[in-house]
Amino acid sequence: MLVLAIETSTPQTTVALGTEQGVLGSVLLSWAKGHSEIVIPAVRTLLDWTEVDLRRVAGVAVGLGPGLFTGLRVGVSTARALAQVLRVPIVGVPSLDVLAFAARHSRYRIAAVTDAKRGEVFYAFYRPVPGGVARESDYLVGRPERLVAELEATREETLLTGGGALLYRRVLEEAAPAVEFGSVSSAFPLAVSLLELSLPRFYREETSRPEAVVPYYVRKSDAEINWARAARSA
Amino acid sequence: MPAGPLSLVSRSPEETRELGAALGAALRPGDLVSLTGDLGAGKTALVQGAARALGVEEPVASPTFVLVREYRGRLPVYHVDVYRLDRLQEVRDLGWEDMLDGGGVVFVEWGSAIGPLLPPTYLEVSLTVPDADETRHLEVRGRGAGWSGRWEQVADRLQPWGAA
Repeated sequence: MLVLAIETSTPQTTVALGTEQGVLGSVLLSWAKGHSEIVIPAVRTLLDWTEVDLRRVAGVAVGLGPGLFTGLRVGVSTARALAQVLRVPIVGVPSLDVLAFAARHSRYRIAAVTDAKRGEVFYAFYRPVPGGVARESDYLVGRPERLVAELEATREETLLTGGGALLYRRVLEEAAPAVEFGSVSSAFPLAVSLLELSLPRFYREETSRPEAVVPYYVRKSDAEINWARAARSA
Repeated sequence: MPAGPLSLVSRSPEETRELGAALGAALRPGDLVSLTGDLGAGKTALVQGAARALGVEEPVASPTFVLVREYRGRLPVYHVDVYRLDRLQEVRDLGWEDMLDGGGVVFVEWGSAIGPLLPPTYLEVSLTVPDADETRHLEVRGRGAGWSGRWEQVADRLQPWGAA
């Protein structure tokens, strides 16, 4: 089954094409300008260079975040549009799961940590299990100090993987007893990981209708705008 | 140096644009300017002047009905109007966080209504219409600690419009 995977929840834009037999190819740009200008050309380049006709794609996988707003919007809407036009199933996978999956051979517990901007990180905890990772927490957002507090509270050796961990390395290093850091090459969720992670879901038919696939926002504001203070007048 | 408030007077929309240009020349990547003032007070005119100073060549129009407009000058310029919104989440759904981190300058009309989403440091401009003519009173102040070090420069640039 040929699957196209799209992951744009971080500064990185990456797409991959492959089957259960392996990866046919992947395009990856870590700090390029706008996701909106890159995703479609990246897909087209990938199809051209692997000499695959778009109509052979039998499923679309997309990273749902949490992550950066504009990238997520672009990635998710591109994936939805492709699935709709090709009339193929779509699988959405949380991007922190994708990041943790790449670190599944860790001996330690894994924390997938990405930069949430505004001095915060998105993170979730995972345990390596045969063939993958099992998530052990909600998807969270908070200052790195809060992550340090959680690490210290559990006192368990943890591999911190992702760009958020590298960005706040100085702060996170203070967490006792021991934290280990992932490498820069696994700083962002990879489309090849997303591809691998999504394939079993296509086979188990754990797919969605395109319109049901929406970005995963961890930051939610239920509050109303304070019009009383600002005195919005007629 | 305390960051304002500066009391300023503009006598026409063109003068408000010039004042905006003087302010725009003092802005840097990451700055946010909150604008408050009734319809017709000159919020858009001020942003037009500031955007011109920031190298935006295309015409700048009110974002009231499209909620956000983005321009490319020397820096990205984001012009947001939250007037028609009711919930903070709707502001976030415009890509608010990405705008704050977009390496540009954000102008937000009615920014004082979305306090929890504002950065620790920003510039606040309120425009009032004292009479029926074209005269406008403006108050400019820096919020948070970040503007005090830059305030002398802002005050210098805006000095021509100082209220007597």
